[in-house]
Amino acid sequence: MGKLRKVLLNLSGLALICVLLVLSGCGGGGQSKTLYIFNWTYYTPDSVIQKFEKEYGVKVVYDTFASNEEMFAKLKAGGANYDITFPSGDYVSIMIKEGMLEKIDKSKLKNFGNIDSKVLEQCDFDPGNQYSIPYYLGAAGVAVNKTKVQNYDHSWSIFARKDLANHMIMLDDMREVMGDALKYLGYSVNTTDQKQIDEARDLINNVWKPNLLKFDAEAFAKSFAAGEVWVAQGYAESIFAEVDKSNWGTVDFFIPKEGGPSYLDSMVILKGSKNKDLALKFIDFIHRPEIYAEFCDYFGFPSTANVPARALKKGESWYRPEDLVNCELKKDVGADLEKYNAAWQTIRVGK
Amino acid sequence: MLRKGGVAARKFMPARSSLSNTIYWVVIGFLFLPLFVLVFYSFNSGRQTTWQGFSFVWYQKLVMESPELWRAFSNSIIIAFGSALMSTAIGSLAAVGTARYSFKLKNFVSTMSFVPMILPEIVVGVSLLIFFAGVGLKLGLLTVWIAHTTFNLPFVYLLVSARLDESDPSIVEAARDLGANEVQILFRIILPMALPGILSAFLTAVTLSLEDFVITFFVTGPGGTTLPLYIYSMIRFGVSPVINALSAVMVAGTVLLVYPMRNFLKVFAAR
Amino acid sequence: MKKQIGLLYSLPQIVWLFVFFAAPLCIIIAYSFLKKGLYGGVEPQFSVEAYTAMANPNILLVTWRTLKMSVIATALTILIALPCGYSIARSKNQAIRLFLVIVPFWTNFLVRIYAWIAILGNEGFLNDILRALHLTTESVQFLYNQTAVILVLVYMYLPYAILPLFSTIDKFDFTLLDAARDLGASRFQSYLRVLLPNIKSGLVTAGLFTFVPIFGAYAVPLLVGGKDSYMLGNIIADQLTKTRNWPLASSISMTVTVLTTGLVFFIAMRKPREQEQVFDADPAFMQTASAGKR
Repeated sequence: MGKLRKVLLNLSGLALICVLLVLSGCGGGGQSKTLYIFNWTYYTPDSVIQKFEKEYGVKVVYDTFASNEEMFAKLKAGGANYDITFPSGDYVSIMIKEGMLEKIDKSKLKNFGNIDSKVLEQCDFDPGNQYSIPYYLGAAGVAVNKTKVQNYDHSWSIFARKDLANHMIMLDDMREVMGDALKYLGYSVNTTDQKQIDEARDLINNVWKPNLLKFDAEAFAKSFAAGEVWVAQGYAESIFAEVDKSNWGTVDFFIPKEGGPSYLDSMVILKGSKNKDLALKFIDFIHRPEIYAEFCDYFGFPSTANVPARALKKGESWYRPEDLVNCELKKDVGADLEKYNAAWQTIRVGK
Repeated sequence: MLRKGGVAARKFMPARSSLSNTIYWVVIGFLFLPLFVLVFYSFNSGRQTTWQGFSFVWYQKLVMESPELWRAFSNSIIIAFGSALMSTAIGSLAAVGTARYSFKLKNFVSTMSFVPMILPEIVVGVSLLIFFAGVGLKLGLLTVWIAHTTFNLPFVYLLVSARLDESDPSIVEAARDLGANEVQILFRIILPMALPGILSAFLTAVTLSLEDFVITFFVTGPGGTTLPLYIYSMIRFGVSPVINALSAVMVAGTVLLVYPMRNFLKVFAAR
Repeated sequence: MKKQIGLLYSLPQIVWLFVFFAAPLCIIIAYSFLKKGLYGGVEPQFSVEAYTAMANPNILLVTWRTLKMSVIATALTILIALPCGYSIARSKNQAIRLFLVIVPFWTNFLVRIYAWIAILGNEGFLNDILRALHLTTESVQFLYNQTAVILVLVYMYLPYAILPLFSTIDKFDFTLLDAARDLGASRFQSYLRVLLPNIKSGLVTAGLFTFVPIFGAYAVPLLVGGKDSYMLGNIIADQLTKTRNWPLASSISMTVTVLTTGLVFFIAMRKPREQEQVFDADPAFMQTASAGKR
């Protein structure tokens, strides 16, 4: 029994030390500044984060999400001690309405002038950019494994091909997939017309879904890289981050000719942020031409938002800004989102 | 419970049913197959699951180039020991309270302690998330610690209660007759008697906490990434087979940890 | 005096569970009767919409599917676990045999799911073997369907069923089997009529501890399931994190809670003698099962 008691004492001692460590860790965290960033997976290269950390002598905690909905739910549920997050336009307007954002003092952003005025014009979700600074304008497209699939149209109709059944995947993202179908049918990605939404739902449910392996907004790129699927709807940056560089030649990434929902992701500072100045510095840092070019090169993006970075970019892009010509920015549809929810539930849940 | 069952029956007889033995070994093969596959792939030099040659490269990457993973690991350790300490303290006291004394709310306490254990994890996670959002508590390591302490409590309570139930109550009576006061009885008699139960409760709480994914997934926030959450992100993103190396290390760790306890397990199980 | 001390000892636990268990449950009960907020959260307005919404054919379909999959997975688990428990109980090397069951069980749960993805994937271990044996040229699609979900669920909860079955069978007086045989029963009959009724409590414990977590499964269908494998756990999570319908997430959670606790209490109350056996802690089981509580 004596032995046991010793063991127990040691154990509780150990646990006590751990708790003390946590407490001291918290104290320590308060002194050296930490910037909490909540971002999409594969959206800011580690090298950029490290440069920022080094230059300002701070620590960056970088957590990730896979869809706007997930990000919003987490913040709404009280994870709001992040400093910066990267919502798409429709969620910027929601977050402004919900009072979740801090106003941004643009006079402190030396590099604001680098942002393409055509991009700024599209920020009708936040006129005058009082709360949000554009990060990147792009769109999800389709990646095809050319070694497995040779003849195909650059169209959403690829998902209707029965010969590729169980070798295709789409995002588990309501607005993205519904938007693709709506565009394919010639409607707006922001439609609130019940008939159009139903039509899009039936197209996905009856024509596309039987050929899909699954809906997955997280592992689609990994499944594609592992050869699990041959055709993936998703983000170029994720696809190319997962595929081995030596195999990049086997991948064709295209934005379907019908267009689809495009997104204008913006950087916003969350209400209650304890590091507003540092967050502003980060936003400004991103729009330095050489940093923005590094970001675009890392992911194979065209430099859509930052003008001077276009000249500094070294690598190729997976798609050209012109490819987005038929795409349409997603907007918040307010209470009509219920129609989308119902349609999406039928798609996700049904057989 | 069943330990009261017939002692006479506890003589071993050679198993005559070879069918059940065969099934047993097939099942063991089934249980171990995934572990072997992981260990096998952890030595693969290629990134995909196709064999491309023997290599230690993923182990090297695991040790040298995975700072985020180690941060998640240290978070897990902190949460595991922190929540085990808290739940063992609270749960053991409650077990002593209900085992040694009878009071009005006794049945209520034991039933209530039992319910969290039978709720699906998703419900516990969702209700805690909504609760934290409601009271305005910021998600992070603190909320993870609270959640882990909560789901550990029933296990601690039941394990310590089981230990106290089988100890001889007359010892406490004797101590009281000899003039020991409540504090003395608690520290000199009851706690030492319950010690093996408390110890196994503590270890159980540590392992439970290290394992948890679903509840943590809901209640975590900035800087609150634990090892299972990190493993989840490794499954979903990134083809790095560092996860294979990590899994192999964890399998080896489990074997080393459980093997010395095998007799301990049997003593408990076969009683 | 004595009475107050007992309560005093239990007080921290009572308070903790009230604040962090009962209160959250009450909040979700309350939320399930409120109107959903447009952008998540709730409006302070009474509504039974969250319950009427559950009559939606989609949700009924998922409920039915979850029930069906849980029953199949539980039944398979018990069926496989029974001979295993028996074999361990009748073995001379109980410790080693238990150890072998427990090792995979104590390996991190996500790591084990990941291992199954590595085995069953199109370019995975099993397909590699099949191709090497020239049994197939194209990859066989094992992953991302209901069968894969059930397989992995059975894998996850097998040790969970084996342990309580072992501890009840171990207490069984095997001479009874001989007696039955002497009286003319076939071997199969003697198992069915003598062994099974005597290990009922073990079967109930094993069944409950397998069924309840499987019914609330979230991670397994998410990771190895496909477009047809959505379960209740996933729908709860989606209502919270995607469609921003907190009341519906709450009402489905409440339904799951009522169903599972109801089931446990129903079984426990039916026979007073069994109550103790279901509720009472079996340290070996608790000790080992703990690591697999999913």
